[in-house]
Order: sequence, then C-alpha cells, then structure tokens
Amino acid sequence: MKTKPAVSVSRASLWHIPLAFLVAMALVPVLFALLYSFKSLQSIYGDAGLFTSGFTLDNYRDIARQLPIVQITLNTLTVAVLVTACKLLTSILAAYAFVFTSFRGKTVLYFLLISTIFIPFTVTMIPNYITVSKLNLFDSVLGIVLPQLADATGIFLLRQTMRSIPKSLIEIAELDGISRMRTLRDIILPICRPSIVATGIIFFINSWNEYVWPTLILRSKENYTLSLAMQLFSSSEAGTEFTTVMAMAVISMLIPVVLYLIFQRYIMSTFASSGIKG
Amino acid sequence: MSNPFSAGAAALDARGRLRPRTRSGRLTPYLLLAPATVLFAVFMFYPLLYTLYLSFFDWNMTRPTKEFVGFENYISVFTDPNFGKIMGNTALYILLLLLFDFAAPYVFSFILSFVVQKGKNFYKSSIFLPSVISLVVGTMIFVWLLNPISGPVSAIAKALGLTVPIWSNTQGLVIVVLSIITSWKIFGYNFIVVMAGVSSVPLEVVEAARLDNIPTWRIFLNIVVPMSSSTGIYVLILSIVTGMQQIFTPINMVTKGGPDNASTNLIYAVYDQAFGFFKTGTASAYAILMMLLFGFLLFLEFKFVEKSVYYEN
Repeated sequence: MKTKPAVSVSRASLWHIPLAFLVAMALVPVLFALLYSFKSLQSIYGDAGLFTSGFTLDNYRDIARQLPIVQITLNTLTVAVLVTACKLLTSILAAYAFVFTSFRGKTVLYFLLISTIFIPFTVTMIPNYITVSKLNLFDSVLGIVLPQLADATGIFLLRQTMRSIPKSLIEIAELDGISRMRTLRDIILPICRPSIVATGIIFFINSWNEYVWPTLILRSKENYTLSLAMQLFSSSEAGTEFTTVMAMAVISMLIPVVLYLIFQRYIMSTFASSGIKG
Repeated sequence: MSNPFSAGAAALDARGRLRPRTRSGRLTPYLLLAPATVLFAVFMFYPLLYTLYLSFFDWNMTRPTKEFVGFENYISVFTDPNFGKIMGNTALYILLLLLFDFAAPYVFSFILSFVVQKGKNFYKSSIFLPSVISLVVGTMIFVWLLNPISGPVSAIAKALGLTVPIWSNTQGLVIVVLSIITSWKIFGYNFIVVMAGVSSVPLEVVEAARLDNIPTWRIFLNIVVPMSSSTGIYVLILSIVTGMQQIFTPINMVTKGGPDNASTNLIYAVYDQAFGFFKTGTASAYAILMMLLFGFLLFLEFKFVEKSVYYEN
C-alpha cells in the first residue's frame, strides 16, 4: 500500500538538510582519519596544505617501528574473544533459567541482576583494582577479563528472544523425555542464533573498544590493547604527528567497522529491540 | 516497551512456567544462574558495598591499616572548594547529553519515521556507524579536527577570516566540545533505540492528525511523544547513565579535568581522587554520590515502567 506523506513533499524534503548534516557529523571524522592516514606530514605543511594529494604508507610503517602493533592487536583480540565467549555462555544459561524454569525469587533475582546496568564503573573500580592486585593479575589478559565475564544486557537481550519461543515446543520436548541440555542445544540455541550472533558482536566490539579498565590494569607496552596504544599518541605534543595518529585510529577501528558492515542488520535490530516490545 | 525493566509483570505469566519433574530438576535453575550470579556478586555487588565501606575510612590503597573517620570524607567532599564546580559541571554535562542524545534523536527519529520518505536505511546505517568505534579513536580524531593551529576546522575558519579558540583551554566551551565528542559516539545508538519506539506509533494515527490540519510539531509533541513515552524515558535515562560514564574517556585523554577544574565532573573526581591523589576515602565518597544519582534514575525507571504497562499496551 502506498502511503501519503504526513507533510507536503516540498516542505518534507527540506528535512534532508539537517539529516545530511547528521550523516556528515557521523562520517566525516571517519573518512578524514582514513584519508589522512595515507598522507605524509610534510606534504600537508607544504603549499597544498590539507588538500595535498600525496599517498604514502609511511604512517603505518612508523607505527610498526614504534610499537609492537601486531602483538597489541592480538592482545586486543584475545581479550575481546575471551570476554565475548564467557559473557555469551553466562548470559545464555541465565536467560534460559529465567524463561524456561521456575524457582523461588525469580523476579527479584532478575531485577537484581539487571539493575547492575545502573552501577557506574567508578563505584566498582577501586575494589576490583584491589582484587586484581591481590590475585597478582596486574599487566595480564586475565586481569582485564576477570571482572567482566557476565553482562546484564546480554541476559536481557537473550531472555527477550527466548520468551518468543512457543512454550508448547519445549513442553513437547519434555514429554518426549529429551533432557534440558539437549533441548537447549538442539532446539533453543538454533532458534536464537541471530540474536546470539548479534549480542556476541556487540560484546566483541565493546570489549575491543574498552579503555578505562585496561588503563588501570596494564603496565607494559607488549601487553597493551589498541585503546592504550592509541592513548600513547595523545600525550605527544598535540597535532604534530597527526597523520601517524590517524593511521593508529584506522588500525583501531578497522575490525569493529568491518564487523558492523557485515552484520549491520542483525546489530541494529538487536539494539532496537532493547528499547521496545520484543 | 520491553526495555530491561519492563518485563517483570510478564515474567510472572503462568504460561511461562514449566514444572520441574525431578529433584535434580529443582536444582537446575540455580545451577544455570550460578555463573552469572556469582560473577555479579564478586565484581559488582561486593565492590559496591566495599566502596560504601571505604567511604568511611581514611586510606591510600597501600597502607596496611585503614583509619575509621565516620562521615569525615563526605564532609571534606562537601566542603571542598571545588565541590560546587564539580556538581555544576556535572549538571551541565547532563543537560548537554540530554539535548544531544535524547532530545535530538527523538526529533530526528520522528522526522525519519513520518516526515521524510526517501533514504531511510542510508540515514539509519550511516548515523549508527560511530557507535561501533572506540571513543578513544573518536577523541583523537576530534582533537585533530579541532586543532587550532593545523586542524581542518581552523583552516576553514581562517579562509572565512575567523579564528578558532583553543577549546580545551576555554571555560564553558570545553564542556560543550567534550559533550559533542561523547555524543558523536552515543547519538546513533540512542537514535536507533528511540526510532524503534517512535516508528511503532501507527501511521494511521499520524495521517488522521495530518488530515485535521494539526501542525507537524504538535503531532510530534502531543501524539508521538506520549505514544512512545516508555521507550523515550528509557533512552532519557540511558543517555545519562551511558553518557556520564563515556564522557570520562575524552576528559581523561584531553583535559584531565582542566583548565582549572573547568571540565571535571562527578565521575572524573572519583578517578582523580583515587588514582591521582590516592585518597581512597574521598574517592569512594564521590563514587557513592554518583551511585545515589544512578540509584535515583533506577527508581525512576521502575516507577515509570509500572505506569507504562497500562499506558502503552
């Protein structure tokens, strides 16, 4: 069915201007970083200025010379994979329990776990820092990963999806004497796959981008993650080596952006469902 | 309206219950929930209580003994000459975050849902893109874009005969720019979430209002906002909860709370006291103030959800 626009076409089309401005605000910083990561600092300070047309890979070579960048990328990957796998596992088990089992205190426990969204990192930071210090886990992958192996948002999102599975399906499996674990593995997980993938990607990207906690825990450059490596450049005199900084920015955002481009639809619909009726 | 806090009533739905058949079946839920619960207990709830405990002690994280000082840490927080500035800045940050990440996405999601016809998917997917990029990256790019000497913004300004102020050194402006940098990351996410609520308002309702010659801005304020209010309030609260935490990144990377405490706030004060001055007690007192603010937001969420169950369905 073709619908009539709510506002006359000519006036409505004026709204494309502010929308285009929003798009520019979102994309221009990313495109500039990409563009200038391939330019040399000298050419920018030459006659053509910022509009220089040169192309060089020197900035990327500079980074490889200054930092163990491959190791740093692998560290980031290790942390993100561990965090994602554990968060998914704990969230799936918890969501399953909240949807398909009954027990005393269910509602209270659910709200208790979900309310952790409202605990700011500043409140948990000092005690967790002390805990990690007592366990001798400073400057290690485990020290970063340990405090973030469960996630309230994951429990919520997966519970949403599991609630849409018809209860009769599970009852039939139960009458047939199929064990809970097999029901979970063979019936529930396949149905929930799109939302598990999306939730996993969200976990992965957030962990990849994490800044505050690694800053507190990591000490040596070999153990750095990309966020910390990036921060090294913020302390050098502002702006002087900005083409190298832009190359570092491109390295840091490459994986999340590629993941987003591939899984865009999953990610957006999962995010959207966190705010409305599922 | 099923944001994380709205599902309580439905969770009690009798259809949702499966009767455990055996004794071991009765234990299953607890076994399934044990990993998440234990992790939250150790790394969320215990730290919350321990921070509360630390806020009554004088300590520096390394000394073997903590000295009990009662409410002294809170008194020193409230009598700190910077306290007014910290709270004022926090309020200003919240105001700006609400403007950029709540009000603006709300209006634009209405426009994209009911006013503009073309390019919806393009707008949605490009506006969302920064949400997946680290704020560390975003901050570094903006620092360069806005660099007063060699950045592109100042180059354009120069061509127009204008000069760009050193934003990170200018009272007031520093908070605005730090909020813009943070909003660059969270705008898209909030936009997608609030859009899901706004676009669930039936098109016929908007059409009918249009036929009655009701102006577009009134359709938004008097029809669309009330009909999507639960998603709206969820995003409002989320703007503050995530915004206030995310803003730490650009503050710590660029200004460290400066110049002259002009960009510090409640969240940076905790970090500064804890890891700058090693005053665990005052840091914890600031953290508890932050928790009270977030606790109030949590209360609002519950209160509002109770109402919305009848309202929006």
